[in-house]
Amino acid sequence: MASVTFSKATRIYPSVPRPAVDALDLEIEDGEFLVLVGPSGCGKSTSLRMLAGLEEVDEGSILIGDRDVTNLKPKDRDIAMVFQNYALYPHMTVGDNMGFALKIAGNSKEEIGKRVAEAARILDLEQFLDRKPKALSGGQRQRVAMGRAIVRSPQVFLMDEPLSNLDAKLRVQTRTEIAALQRRLGVTTVYVTHDQVEAMTMGDRVAVLKDGILQQVDTPLRLYQQPVNVFVAAFIGSPGMNIGHFELDGEEAALGRARLRLSRATLDALREEGADRLVLGFRPEALEQVGADEPGAFPVQVSVIEELGSDAFLYGALTDIPGSSVDGSHIIARVDPSRPPAKGDVVHLRVRPGMQHIFSESTGRRLPD
Amino acid sequence: MSVAVDVGDRAASRRQGGASRSLRRSGDWARRVPLLPALIFTIVVTQLPFVATLVISFMNWNAYYPNERGFAGFANFRSVLTDVAMRDAIITTIELTVTVVAVSLLLGLVVALLLDRSFLGRGAVRTMMITPFLVVPVAAALLWKHALYNPEYGLLNGVLKGVWGLFGAAGSAPQPDWITQMPLLSVEIALIWQWTPFMMLILLAGLQSRPLDVIEAARIDGAGSWQIFRYMTFPHLRQYLELGALLGSIYIVQNFDYVFTITSGGLGTANLPYAIYQTFYQAHDYGRASAAGVVVVIGTILIATLALRTVSSLFREETSR
Ligand SMILES: Nc1ncnc2c1ncn2[C@@H]1O[C@H](COP(=O)(O)OP(=O)(O)OP(=O)(O)O)[C@@H](O)[C@H]1O
Ligand SMILES: [Mg+2]
Repeated sequence: MASVTFSKATRIYPSVPRPAVDALDLEIEDGEFLVLVGPSGCGKSTSLRMLAGLEEVDEGSILIGDRDVTNLKPKDRDIAMVFQNYALYPHMTVGDNMGFALKIAGNSKEEIGKRVAEAARILDLEQFLDRKPKALSGGQRQRVAMGRAIVRSPQVFLMDEPLSNLDAKLRVQTRTEIAALQRRLGVTTVYVTHDQVEAMTMGDRVAVLKDGILQQVDTPLRLYQQPVNVFVAAFIGSPGMNIGHFELDGEEAALGRARLRLSRATLDALREEGADRLVLGFRPEALEQVGADEPGAFPVQVSVIEELGSDAFLYGALTDIPGSSVDGSHIIARVDPSRPPAKGDVVHLRVRPGMQHIFSESTGRRLPD
Repeated sequence: MSVAVDVGDRAASRRQGGASRSLRRSGDWARRVPLLPALIFTIVVTQLPFVATLVISFMNWNAYYPNERGFAGFANFRSVLTDVAMRDAIITTIELTVTVVAVSLLLGLVVALLLDRSFLGRGAVRTMMITPFLVVPVAAALLWKHALYNPEYGLLNGVLKGVWGLFGAAGSAPQPDWITQMPLLSVEIALIWQWTPFMMLILLAGLQSRPLDVIEAARIDGAGSWQIFRYMTFPHLRQYLELGALLGSIYIVQNFDYVFTITSGGLGTANLPYAIYQTFYQAHDYGRASAAGVVVVIGTILIATLALRTVSSLFREETSR
């Protein structure tokens, strides 16, 4: 087991001007479960493949433990990888698939048999050991791919969207199983996903990437509560954060009838920037339903109510500012599931004080609140 | 517009009820009858010669003894399988086929592995590698016989002379008469030259259908280049190797051009097709020639059955993936 360090690691694909991964700095502790998340094409797989040795590192370096592996071959890095399509060896049985790495490493037959049996027991694959991969279901194949990784007891596990080919229910179940297995084995793991729910539920820490640039690395909770910029704020959370471009009006941020008192620290930061506009984000649960004459309350016309039993979400449009800049004037709010408003109603909402996120309009960075 | 017409049509035919069914049947025939001449022509052209051969193979029919024509039972087959010349022809055929297929597969594999890497001008090299397969067999055989093997002005001996000439000993360069000294090998080399590209194409297709992530997984699992070839590439290529071997065998068993052109069947190079040709055109023993032809066809059918089975297993693999 070992830590992993990316130090200004950069990958530039030939004939593509922009780096796919741009000066990635990331330290992953020994035994940590780190999730790489981001929209499609942001460079998650490329980062992982750089760590695996399947992709060159054009600049910077990568360390596993204290060992510089930047120029090592994949086989010399002591890592195991689970691929999105599992990449099982089609002409080998499940047992041979799991034992292949041990066989290449020159282990004895008994040793291989013992370790494969142990992994099969953990993953509940014992009755499939003699089958070929094509005679397995998707979920079973996924477990074989996991088994192939764990029999090796490597220093680091790498997983590239290993759950994306499973159906929704199995995905949730397998998600917890993988997380539990990783805690039990204590092997440092780098896990790639584009699904932010997966990222938030599995990771000790989550790294958010965009266009090859690392945006923020933090625990899931801090990522949710303290996003460093508008991108992270909008990306993390489901349903997503409401984001609006407000004007500075004295000591308040204003958008139509919506008003929010700003703190001294925020005002100072804005003055320093010389900005008279700012970006304000508030999560669905930061909105509360209030009376029409409450200060700062703004009217919203309900277009959809999504009732999930334990929760209810209101999807609406701001009525007083047609075509306003709150993302196409749509707004999402969590409402009391026991008495949700009806479709077509006009309700009044207010941002709960202290639950807003404030960002600079020019840089997108978080401002003190 | 056409939809409306169609709907109207159908409504009309429904109204006519039972009458429409017989109408439809005669309509079907009206459509099929014009195809009949083509069908009959195809049957006549493709199937009748074989049936005729089959019938003749059971007959005693030699142009030199026109009065003895009649039913001969299995006598022709017996003589094909016991006659020394015919038996030698069968053995030569097997030897020729096995050598050519095995060596061209091996060379094809090597070339395919080299062409599977990306390098500058790969497309051009690939096209050039394929050209031998596009040359008309007779032309290729003539080329080998005269431009390469000829002891006086052939390329091979010319090169030998040139190489020896570099050391100032052009006079003592070996000048073998290739075709006389190694007749079967000469035929085999020319055939291998023509068939290697075919094998290469099949194997290259196989190589390029290898799933990339499986290879990457193997590399991460610690496999080196040789182990990847041994445990991943080779098992994947097995079916393609089988396919190449079987398709190649079907053609090379029937090869006539090279034997006829290069050695005229002399010096123990007469294979079955050549022996058939001799029996037919020189001995004028039509019955025996036909029997030998039937033996070739049976051999080919056996190989072809295996080939088809391989192809279908390939398809099965492909769809189940
Ligand atoms: N072989 C390649 N050659 C050139 N560009 C590439 C290559 N592979 C990936 N890229 C580019 O690099 C960027 C990052 O790709 P990457 O596969 O890492 O994305 P990702 O974050 O894994 O996306 P996804 O969630 O869709 O898998 C993309 O813009 C992609 O187009
Ligand atoms: Mg990816």
